[in-house]
Amino acid sequence: MSAKNGSTQGSLAGLRVLDLTRVWAGPLATRIYGDYGADVIKISDPRVPLISPNGLNSKLNRNKKNIGLRLDKSDGREIFLELTAISDVIIENFRPRVMRNLNITYETLTKINPHIIMCSMPGFGLEGPYSEYPAFGTTAEALAGIPGLIGYDSSLPISTGIAYGDPVSGLNAVGILLTALRHRNITGTGQFIDIALAASPACNLGEFFAANSSNGYTPTINGNKSEHYSPHGAYPTRGEDQWIALSITNEKTWKTLAEIINNPILSSEDYHIFENRKKDEILIDAHISDWFASKEAEEVMFRLQTRGIAAGVVSSNRQLLSDPHLNQREFFADMDEPLFGVKRYDGQSIRGNFINKSGWKTTEEVGGSSKEILMKLLGYTNDDCETLGKQGTILFQ
Amino acid sequence: MSSEYFADDLPLNGIKVVETAQGVSGPYAAKLLASLGAEVIKVELPGGDWSRKTPPFLSETNHTESSALYLYNNTGKKSVVLDWRNSEGLNDLENLIKSADVFIEDWDISARTEWKLSPEFFIENNPQLIELSITPFGLSGPYSTYKSTPLIQLALGGILNLIGNPEQEPLMLPGHQPDYLTGINGSNAVQIALWDRDFFGESGKFLELTMLETLANLHQAPLDMDGGIRRRSGHRQSPLSSNGFPPGVCTVSAKDGYMTFGGGSPAIWEQLCLMLGRLDLFENETFSNVFENPESGLIVDHIMENWMADKTREEVFKEASSVWMLPVSPVKKINEILEDKQYASRHAFQKIIHPVAGEATYPSPTFTANGEKLKVSRSPMLGEHTKEYLW
Repeated sequence: MSAKNGSTQGSLAGLRVLDLTRVWAGPLATRIYGDYGADVIKISDPRVPLISPNGLNSKLNRNKKNIGLRLDKSDGREIFLELTAISDVIIENFRPRVMRNLNITYETLTKINPHIIMCSMPGFGLEGPYSEYPAFGTTAEALAGIPGLIGYDSSLPISTGIAYGDPVSGLNAVGILLTALRHRNITGTGQFIDIALAASPACNLGEFFAANSSNGYTPTINGNKSEHYSPHGAYPTRGEDQWIALSITNEKTWKTLAEIINNPILSSEDYHIFENRKKDEILIDAHISDWFASKEAEEVMFRLQTRGIAAGVVSSNRQLLSDPHLNQREFFADMDEPLFGVKRYDGQSIRGNFINKSGWKTTEEVGGSSKEILMKLLGYTNDDCETLGKQGTILFQ
Repeated sequence: MSSEYFADDLPLNGIKVVETAQGVSGPYAAKLLASLGAEVIKVELPGGDWSRKTPPFLSETNHTESSALYLYNNTGKKSVVLDWRNSEGLNDLENLIKSADVFIEDWDISARTEWKLSPEFFIENNPQLIELSITPFGLSGPYSTYKSTPLIQLALGGILNLIGNPEQEPLMLPGHQPDYLTGINGSNAVQIALWDRDFFGESGKFLELTMLETLANLHQAPLDMDGGIRRRSGHRQSPLSSNGFPPGVCTVSAKDGYMTFGGGSPAIWEQLCLMLGRLDLFENETFSNVFENPESGLIVDHIMENWMADKTREEVFKEASSVWMLPVSPVKKINEILEDKQYASRHAFQKIIHPVAGEATYPSPTFTANGEKLKVSRSPMLGEHTKEYLW
């Protein structure tokens, strides 16, 4: 509960978040709080460095302060409780037993701060038969039904590559915590929020569950092919592993496409009707593929989009960085990192009053703010810090 | 007396949301707000939200009231029919929005230009209004007039390129994922703005969210990847950096279906080798990086599948998780998830009865608050509340 004065600091200035999260789901959620000006204190294990050349942690931990703190030591736990007393939100994504073993549970924390809001993001939830099983976003998405709906046919499921359980849960946590904070402001009471990594992806498949429960509906798994649109897929274009995606969703855009391709077979009036296109999808795809094969993806996207056809370059991570649209909208953030120089990261997709990018801070190494936090927030002396450092309870940079 | 459990007195009670957005992204944002207590007035054109016409349907005879997509994304809302494309309708809409806290729309720049609607149009009459604009690409920039579908979004957002086999067509996420994700982000944007407005006296705002930017935020690896390209690698997880990782991080078959094994660290690789009774593989240098030695991946896949050949997914899940502490999970199908005991014990789904579509099972809100799931009420029928709000 730090002070907020004026709107220049970002909408969430004045909130203090104790961030025990690691890897992907939690750090994504707290990054949004940090971008919006909250005082996010990331608590890291002093024995594990945060920053490495692969940039995984640097991407997700900007605009946060870092304290290197051993929670498994009694004086370290004590410091955590002192921070709890002056914080609004605690968020963690350990396996359930880790917090229990540290005796850092919502019940113990409410005794220190009855207004505290705690959020746990376990793999499967804090209760239930799988609750103690380890999980990653990559495995949680499998339980939630995502890879079961991806594949070239129904024989082999395919994972998303983005550990889908993590980002979906991280994004969900942001709003739910604000709701709990609003509740606290109105009623004065805290809240314990549990978001399972395996729950959130299933919430993005609502129509599949509703239909299956009602009439047994099971979608056909067949690449990018759609039961309602045709053609619908990605086609190779000129260059190595270059593709363009194409969605024809109505008769009008189909006619335009056939006119542009100007191929006698595709121009047949029979194909004005979706059912006929669907029936001959393989043949039609072959003709479209022939046409795309020699073209440059970006050029042909522009050409088709100018005529109102939904088409898009299949961008790699590198192509995304140079995407003309995202660059013109100034989406990216160039961060000057002490160890690696200027690196370009994704910006903040949630529009609103976030801190101006020129004021963004790069990810701090473990313990980067230990001293400031202990002395300014908790009133420790220099001597105290020295003792805690020697004991290995706290790491100072 | 104030309640500890916020379901009894939902925090967004008293917040009024008007929505003209159609489909999934805007409606899902408003659905989330409705589940937290907001009064959501869904304004539909005379034919209804386009998602009403989108399969799958729950009733064969009445499609307007039985699209699963519509029924899921509009729980807890009121439906008012008016045609904002004519001046009388627009006037009615303006009146509804005058007393609203939040307005959610999905008009792209072409529609705004045609109807001469500036971003300030509604906020001028209601300075406290938070207007959420959700479009695929936003109201400015070279793609702002581009057409889009979930497939196109995932392509341009760099997600498609990560999914599928290396030499084959890159694959999309199922259903309407870019829309759902942007919907969650939209609800986040609204809640952040409400926080600032209601507790710090900030005025209303025009918030322009795009699906493309939402997806660009959801890459786990930094986009520059040290100059490298993150490539799709089929049933195997693709690495998050140029370092690669050991075999065994993949989706492989057990007796009755597939299992996904997570990992990427030497510690998890060691545990996997212990489980398989093949510690020799862990000690073998040539098995330390499957991306440098693809053959090692195929060998380990085969050993894993042999080990699981006589075991059901449930048996593998239990043993690998509780004995060997491996992050694994069965790959479940939709019908299996509806019967899964973990989801059941968490009340992850709830039955909702609709007068036309009948009873169906829908996902509950993703979180529990003090151990409880929130209940949501059914979606409205087209124009069910027009009288209540317009007459």
